[in-house]
Amino acid sequence: MWTTVLVSGITLGSFYTLVALGFALIFGVTHTFNLAHGELIVFAGYVAYWMWKTYGVSLLLTFPAAILATLVLCLILQRLFSRLREPMEMNSIVLSFGLAILLQNGMLFFFSGDYRLIRVPLLNQRIHLPGLSLSYGQFTLLTISLLVLALTYVLLHHTYLGKALRATIQDRESAALAGINVRGMGILAFAIGAVLIGLAGPLFGSIHYLYPTAGLQATLIAVTITIFAGVGQIRTLILGGWILGFAESCTVVLLGASWRELVSAIMLLTLLALRPHGILGREEQ
Amino acid sequence: MTREQPTSAPMKHLPLAHMVLLLGLAILLALPLLSGGNDYILQVFTHALLLAILALAWNILAISGSISLGHAAFFGVGAYTSGLLSLESGVSPWATIPLAGFAAAVIALGVWLFCRRLRGAYFALATLAFVEIPRVLTDNWDSLTRGSLGLVGLPGLPGLRLGPLYFDIGASSIGSYYFVLVFGLLLLATVTLILRSNLGLALQAIREEETAAASLGIRVQGYRLLALLLSALFSGITGACYAHLVHYIEPGMVYGLHFSAIPVIFAICGGRFTIVGPALAALVLYPLDQFVFHPLLPAGHEFLYGAVIVLAILFLPSGFWGQLRKGQFVSIKTGSIE
Amino acid sequence: MSLLRLEALSKRFGEHWALKEIDFDLEEGEIVGLVGPNGAGKTTLFNLITGRHKPSSGRVWFEGKDITFYRPHEIQRYGISRTFQSSRPFARMRVLENVVVGRIFSGKFHLFPHTEDTNMARQLLELVGLAHKEDALAGELTLSERRRLDLARALATEPKLLLLDEVVAGFSPLAVKQAAELVQRARERGVTLFIVDHFMSLSLTVSDRLLALDHGEKIAEGKPQEVMRNRKVIRAYLGTRHDDEAQSAER
Repeated sequence: MWTTVLVSGITLGSFYTLVALGFALIFGVTHTFNLAHGELIVFAGYVAYWMWKTYGVSLLLTFPAAILATLVLCLILQRLFSRLREPMEMNSIVLSFGLAILLQNGMLFFFSGDYRLIRVPLLNQRIHLPGLSLSYGQFTLLTISLLVLALTYVLLHHTYLGKALRATIQDRESAALAGINVRGMGILAFAIGAVLIGLAGPLFGSIHYLYPTAGLQATLIAVTITIFAGVGQIRTLILGGWILGFAESCTVVLLGASWRELVSAIMLLTLLALRPHGILGREEQ
Repeated sequence: MTREQPTSAPMKHLPLAHMVLLLGLAILLALPLLSGGNDYILQVFTHALLLAILALAWNILAISGSISLGHAAFFGVGAYTSGLLSLESGVSPWATIPLAGFAAAVIALGVWLFCRRLRGAYFALATLAFVEIPRVLTDNWDSLTRGSLGLVGLPGLPGLRLGPLYFDIGASSIGSYYFVLVFGLLLLATVTLILRSNLGLALQAIREEETAAASLGIRVQGYRLLALLLSALFSGITGACYAHLVHYIEPGMVYGLHFSAIPVIFAICGGRFTIVGPALAALVLYPLDQFVFHPLLPAGHEFLYGAVIVLAILFLPSGFWGQLRKGQFVSIKTGSIE
Repeated sequence: MSLLRLEALSKRFGEHWALKEIDFDLEEGEIVGLVGPNGAGKTTLFNLITGRHKPSSGRVWFEGKDITFYRPHEIQRYGISRTFQSSRPFARMRVLENVVVGRIFSGKFHLFPHTEDTNMARQLLELVGLAHKEDALAGELTLSERRRLDLARALATEPKLLLLDEVVAGFSPLAVKQAAELVQRARERGVTLFIVDHFMSLSLTVSDRLLALDHGEKIAEGKPQEVMRNRKVIRAYLGTRHDDEAQSAER
């Protein structure tokens, strides 16, 4: 039984890392706490659902449309966030709280409050490996998540733009002095974040029911993993994602599925209590 | 003592602000007459008043500088405490409503445990996450809370006898309306008193410059906790009143994002550095939502709330009442009260 | 018995010693200037005395009591107040309220402001020349007005010892002269003063003694003219280094 828990923990955890990555990147570069992150993922899920339901497009082919939709939305959001003044973190939380409500109601209007799921029968079939059994759904989730994480890692560590992004995350002022266009990096972060959200949304819609307020859980998951990892460290993000995924899987097995939503909340509260100065750790000396 | 030049010219806007307040109060007092006995109008305004009270309670904490995104925790615990006690034991809601306030304050101690060292954005995130604890517990602890089915058939508020006068509160819309109005005015008076007192000065000083406040002898943590407890107490009582007014609650409703978001929206749109701003915003925006946007747009009418908070934070960060009374932040009278 | 005694006071941030084994005595009624180049540890010393930071080792004695590990508001109640290098008024409160806050919480708590509290606050505003601004929001004041407000707010707590952190930085010579008068008037009220003053523009004229720090170590103490002639002090000021680490520690 525990291998099943482990497999589902790692699969879920890898997906959670994908959910968190866009949030962490945007936060790291622009110091924007985007509480509407989960709503954007649900929105991308709805776009995929709509294409799948109406036109019978297969799940994998919905990704481009979902990415395009979130890209447009994220660039609009970036314009709004860039108008905010310091303290950026607090102001962005309040602004994105409002944006989340806007998005929720928009989705309620267009897709109604019904629970939707992108049902792909193939995903429920199981693959049997020696000593291990997992579903196609888990396999797809794991492969796509890890692939995207690996690509993002390469982008951040082995391209000029990625290095500029990481420099901005580490120290905005020095980055600006080194000739990096910090504002441009902010737009780029939102754009990459949008791609990651566009990839996470359809996957979310295939493993989890879509409804307008489903985003809050995804936001909490993203915040938790980001606070666990700090920003800019994909390896630590994956570790955080796996720990959260494993903890949730254990909770589901031991206590039942209805307790699952408590895990990320308690993990976040504990992390914050232990690291009260947050991710950037800007404690005065 | 002579004052040569009052720099921010506060007297200029004062009469207008006072006129608006008096007019608003007159409308509220006469509403049962104005509405021509229309129950729906009264119910909407009763609910708006409850939300105004919640926003006032939320603002007690915000005055000390902490923005909470999780006041549904206190509201929900209050609603459930009073609902369960009155259902299970048959005790009058008048006895269980204060207990609900205390239960919410106890929950606030739990929040404090996690959030003691947190400020600003991180405090907000922690409160957002904290709501999940009472919500999931209530949802799953079936033997105590009846689980996700919620509580049905909650007793209404009994009538009150004061000497020869009998106030029929729960039985009619007018009774409920006046009860909530009186509760709201009492809370408004309490909040005004708190903020005009030295306690209010301490909370504002902590909000503005915590380090400087401590260096002047203010027990920062003590006052922050006190603000949280008072805020939770009144939010819990509000939740309890809500439960007995609508007779039905369930976890997803009372612990939902709605009751966490509503006070934030109203306080920030109204002006979180003012006393009445949050309440005024509730009394304007909720009826606007119910009378105008709900009929136009049954699904998604609450986009109004999202839109107003986005507009407020971008264009009017001190809120409309704060803007109207520019320079008139919560303040002791320069004479002094004794 | 001296009013304030620092005993082998040290503070380390990670690998960096912000202060190393500082011994110093401050007598009642004195005005002492604390001088030294950027990163010398002046503000850190103030933060240790007022309890904002805890020392890595050493002791702080005030009126014979060990106050090393007291919390900031407790230390304040024993009679030590301070102003901040970057002025920190309560920006969205009125000027008068700022001073009233200083008055109310240093003594026994009462729930509502008394007339005598506001009257005393007005007197202090008069003293620092801000009486005409009492209804303005503190955030609307100019830099020099803010510093004066800081001073009035700190004086409102009726401190025995007042720590002034760079009150005249960026002031014109005339403003410095006015500040010196203010400091003298504070002393006449019975306040002992400890003044951080990087450019020595204030401390040279008003101080009885100077304490000079460099790299977290005491390099000289004594009469202003003697300290000014001290070779270590001259070298510390003239051999200007732009040591980033040291500067960030000063913050």
